[in-house]
Formats: sequence, structure tokens, C-alpha cells
Amino acid sequence: MNFFSLPRLLRAACLAALLFAGSAALAYVDDAMSFAYEAANPYAEKGWIIREDAWGGDLGEGDKKAVTAQLFRGNNYVFFLGTDVEGAKLRVNVYDAGGKLAESNSWQEGKFAYAEVKPQSTGTYYIVVEVLSSPEERTGWALVYGFRR
Amino acid sequence: MDDFLDARGVGDLFHFLLFMLYLGTAPSEISPILNTRAFLVLLGVSLGAGAAFAENPPPQQINLNEFPAETVNEVVVPVPSEVFAVLEKLGNPNWRAELGPAKTFSATADRAQDALLLGTVIADGFIAVEAEDSERVKDIGRNVLTLAEAINVRKSVVARSNSIIQKADARQWDAVRREFDGALQDVNQAMAELNDEQLAQLVSLGGWLRGTQALTSIVDAKYSEQRAELLYQPLLVEYFSRQLSKMSPRLRGKEIVGDIRRTLDKIDPLVSKPDGNIPPESVTKIHNITSGVVDRIRSKAG
Repeated sequence: MNFFSLPRLLRAACLAALLFAGSAALAYVDDAMSFAYEAANPYAEKGWIIREDAWGGDLGEGDKKAVTAQLFRGNNYVFFLGTDVEGAKLRVNVYDAGGKLAESNSWQEGKFAYAEVKPQSTGTYYIVVEVLSSPEERTGWALVYGFRR
Repeated sequence: MDDFLDARGVGDLFHFLLFMLYLGTAPSEISPILNTRAFLVLLGVSLGAGAAFAENPPPQQINLNEFPAETVNEVVVPVPSEVFAVLEKLGNPNWRAELGPAKTFSATADRAQDALLLGTVIADGFIAVEAEDSERVKDIGRNVLTLAEAINVRKSVVARSNSIIQKADARQWDAVRREFDGALQDVNQAMAELNDEQLAQLVSLGGWLRGTQALTSIVDAKYSEQRAELLYQPLLVEYFSRQLSKMSPRLRGKEIVGDIRRTLDKIDPLVSKPDGNIPPESVTKIHNITSGVVDRIRSKAG
């Protein structure tokens, strides 16, 4: 091993380590997204339009996160929350601009949680994602939504 | 019996079993069944499951100030078809008139302008789908590809563009809507990979401006409070304004970007009234403002 090749090898090793760490962090959000889309599948089959956009991240147990959305009165919406963490219990709820619970229904099934809303008025809504319990320190989540014409 | 069925929170299974007992057995027969060990175990499990489900119901009211400031940065930007779907239910808009004459837009030498232009063309795609005009949809699908090439994301949208053309031929309108949505996401993702997120925001903004231009035209043609309510979008105007203010000095210095900032400043008070009531004169104003800026986005595009 000559002297000049060492830094290059070290650089390559560092880069590989960084890439690995980065891809591992992104992987669980990707997995959570797969579950969110899996939750949405039965709705897509019933004619709901599922958006291709998705939101995600990770949360600790008991943590909450809100995503803001513009919803239109006249449409029906469903929000699908997915996680890749076995045994985690998450929920998703929809609140209006005044902080009042706005959903018509919400429930949780294994790695999925759902909230349905038929907005009473057009405007800003808050989609609150929460990790109720989890065996992991951080729980990856992903949120997708669909609407029905 | 209504009370019986409405007594929720104890578990649907338990309800079902008791209800079957109620229907299928005389009161004297229920007692021995209720005393069996299996039933008691089942009852315990059902009550436990019900209690676990009910132990932590979502609060009826939350304090939105408790959420971190980053919350407002996570905004779901709707696609035009979400608002068009409601318009369709409220009447029978003349979508073909909104499309106007067929025109293909070529790329300019300015990537910011091209990103905005791409957004307007994708919004045109959503309008063409509402009009169920397969030839226009196909032309727009091809135009999306040309403009994507100008901002270096052609490779990411080739499959979408082909799919739009195939599905428009088959008149699978919901599928075409999904493909246009997918094209937007593909562009966003590809730009993020190129560290060009700010250009991706311009694509979204171009789409919103063109969609709002069409929406105001339809509402203006046949005003009703319910139709006008669709314009109540303070969140989006604020979100786009914030995105523009965070852009690099190079982008903010561009004439078209400055123009759009001023446009949003003008629209903001018109769509942000707390009662959500947008009068006809405001609809006309928003239409004139958005038409002006969409024309300027397209003016250099040949």
C-alpha cells in the first residue's frame, strides 16, 4: 500500500459509510411509505384518487407532528398513515383551522392508521400524526392521502 | 335495542355476540351461556380490547400553538383536479373554453421561467382531462417532456409522458389525472436530487397560478358563494410567499420571480378573509391578476 493511496481509500471508506448511514435513514421512511400506499390500495380500487405526493419522517413515542393541508368542501378525503415498525401503534387525526376535531372517522389497524374527513368548509386543516406506542426509539412514518370526486 | 346497539366502546365482537344471543335465545336460555367460562374469557378479552381502544381517544380540541413552527412548512399542496372535482359537482363548467386554443410552449433560456412554464402546462393537462380532450392531453403530455428537458429532468418524466399519451388514447381519465400528478412528483424528486428544490417550487407555483386562473374564470362566469369558497386558500398563498422569500438571491432577483411575489401580495388579502366569503368583485380581481402573470410566464415561450 503506497502512501498516496491511503487518503483515497479513507475517503472512499468515509463516503461509503456516509452513504450507508444516509440510505439506512431514508430506507425506513421508504418502507413506511410502502405501507401507507398499501393502506391506500383498497381505496384506489374503489375509485378514490390517491395522490402520488407523500410526507414522512420519524417520531419518538408520544411525539406528534402536524402537516397542514388545504381541503375543499365538496370532496371526501382519506389520510393513510403507515409505519414499518412492527408492534408500533400510530394514529392520524384531522383538525380544522380552529383546532377542532374535523374527521368523520379514524381508526388504526396494525401498521396502518386512517382518518376520513368530509370538510364542512374550504380552508386549512391540520393532519396530526402521533406515535402512541412503539418498541423502537424512533418510529418511521409516512402519510399519503386520497380524495373522491 | 337502539340503546343496546349504540353502547359502543365495549367492543364490536361483544356487541355482536350479545346481540345474537338477544335475537336467538329466550331470556331463560341466556343465563347458562353467560355463566360459561368460555363466555367470561371472551367477555374479558372484548372488554380489554374495547378499553385499550377507548383509553386514548383523540382530543376533540387541540391547541395548534403547541406544535412546532416547522409544522407550517409541511404543507400539502393540492393538485388542480381536487378543486376541479368540486367545480364539476357544482355545475357544468366549460372546460374547453378554459383550455383556449392549442399551443405548444417551447423552452426559454431561463430555467426559472421554464420551471414556471412547466407548472402551467401541467395545470393545462388537468384542465384538458376535465374537458376529456384526448388530443390536447396528448399534446400537453409531449410538451411536458420538452420543458422537462429544459430543466434537466427529462429522463424522470419520459415514462409519465408516454403513459399520459397511452391513457389519454384509452380515455382513462382518472388514470391520466394520476399520471399528471405523478409527473409533478417525478419532477420534484428529480430536482431534489439535483439540489434544485427551489426550481421544483416554481413548478408547483406555476401550476397553482394557472389552476387559479381557470378556477376564477369558471366562478366568475357563474358566481355562487359556494363556488367562490373554493378560492379561500390563505394557507397556500402564505406558503408560496414564504417559499419565494427563502429563495436564493439569484432567483429572487429574476424579474418574473419578483413579479410573482407582488402577485401573491395582491392575492393574499383577497383570499384570506376569515369568514371565507369571497365576493364577485374579488373573484374578478384574482382572475385578472393571475391571467396577467400567467401571460407573462408564457410570453417568452414562443
